[in-house]
Amino acid sequence: MERQEIIDGLVEILKTVRTIDPEKLAGVTEETDFLADLNTPSTEMINIVVKTEQKFGVEFEDDDIDDLGSKVKNVVDLIIRTKAKANQ
Amino acid sequence: MQTPGRKVAVVGMGGAFPGCSDLADFSGKLFSNQSLIREWDKAIAYGKNVRSTVSGFITEEEMGLDVIYSSLVDNNYPETYIDKLNRIPYGNLATADVGSIWAMIGTLDAIKMAGWTDTEVQSEQTGVVMGSGGSGNVILRAAWHNFYELGKKTRTAGSHAVDRTMSYREAANVSCFIKNRGVCEAIVSACATGLGNIGYAYRLIKFGLQDRIITGGIEGTSLETFIGFDGMQVLSRGFSPQESSRPFDLNRNGFVCSFGCGIVALEEYEQAKARGAVILGVIDEYFNNSDGDGDMFYPSFLGQKRLWKGLSGDSGIKPDVVKVHGTSTPAGDSIELLSVVDVLGEDGYHISAPKSQFGHMLGAAGSVEFITALLMLKEQKVLPCLNSDTLNPELEPFQKTEHWRGPVKPLEAYRRLIPKQSIAKEINSITCLNYGFGGTNSAISVSRDN
Repeated sequence: MERQEIIDGLVEILKTVRTIDPEKLAGVTEETDFLADLNTPSTEMINIVVKTEQKFGVEFEDDDIDDLGSKVKNVVDLIIRTKAKANQ
Repeated sequence: MQTPGRKVAVVGMGGAFPGCSDLADFSGKLFSNQSLIREWDKAIAYGKNVRSTVSGFITEEEMGLDVIYSSLVDNNYPETYIDKLNRIPYGNLATADVGSIWAMIGTLDAIKMAGWTDTEVQSEQTGVVMGSGGSGNVILRAAWHNFYELGKKTRTAGSHAVDRTMSYREAANVSCFIKNRGVCEAIVSACATGLGNIGYAYRLIKFGLQDRIITGGIEGTSLETFIGFDGMQVLSRGFSPQESSRPFDLNRNGFVCSFGCGIVALEEYEQAKARGAVILGVIDEYFNNSDGDGDMFYPSFLGQKRLWKGLSGDSGIKPDVVKVHGTSTPAGDSIELLSVVDVLGEDGYHISAPKSQFGHMLGAAGSVEFITALLMLKEQKVLPCLNSDTLNPELEPFQKTEHWRGPVKPLEAYRRLIPKQSIAKEINSITCLNYGFGGTNSAISVSRDN
């Protein structure tokens, strides 16, 4: 799965989080910060993570979620890493 | 203790009422003797597993809401709600169960009616005191099923299972919504919850601790709540929806489990008068106590007599209307009527039983019925006791026991006190009564502003 494909999927998830301003989702990149740039309430992060697991068919480790950064690229990296581990 | 000379005015009200578009619609239907009780499709869907199928329920659609169901949790888990009328921001909707949303909407209406400024609302002297009888049962059922039965991770229920189910969730949500800086608490006392919160709020102002309080009771529509009472076999059955709630009637066989929300704005009287507020009523006194007989469910004649004593002392003051708890249960109504007659005598007042029109709203009952009292003061009309067709011409069994010390006439002797249709009369003072499981009793006296 290409990284841009994952980002597009994440944007689709973010559209369902109604506390995020939809206008801010137009220019989401790997460097976009969920908290600083999108003003995502920190309590919504776990909802985004769980929807990400469902959409991409992965299950993250608790430690990985605890250590997860707040940028889009951090989530993309975690998805790719988790998928790779599952295929080993 | 009470601060001498300090009085408490009611300056605003709002809420959620079964099948009604707003407070004016609610008032119009009540005074035209209508019933708000309907067959409930959600109960009927469970066939013979549910004993009673009537309720004064409120749908999301009726409140201008849409539900967004979670794709992660089965059993219709509400992930969040959409306010189609844009009254409540998404951030506040995210932390709310449906009852908390009703509380926020009712708060908006009450504050608008009160005419409070943002500065007044966000003051350290403004509090929020409200609660409900049950938990966030709709949220909890699906979340627990997801974890225990389906074996899914806790995080699939999302990050709001706590704030949307905790005991004081309505108070917390309203406080975050209006950004007050005074107290934020919930009083929980079963079916006395609605009046208990208003009474506590009254005391906070009366004792000089707050100047303004948004207060009341809520019970969000929930089949999970309904089935608990249904299993106890205490709900009305065998009548048409409109005839199901029949306080004091000989053939009553249980209450109608209903849902709603009643929010009122209280303010220190002199401040309210100074800014020209419309005074909906002045609270004369609040009192609450316990039966002290160790019985969880059965009402206490002596406990209710002590309640009146605590409320009125030896003043001999007689209200023009007694808004009774009047649930339509066999035991509750007869004890209540006889305790009222024992204290107030056989004439000179009327009895109003609004549960006959919308059923028993549990934790919201006391506050919505307090609003009906304010409406009676405004309209100068007594709300009826629908379906009280036949009062028992025989003595109640407990009246025949040797230790009975109450009235010795059958309920039929007090027919003239209980209008079956709304009637007009001069109303200056109303006493409201509510009781709850655990033997808790509450009473408030509210009067017209002179």
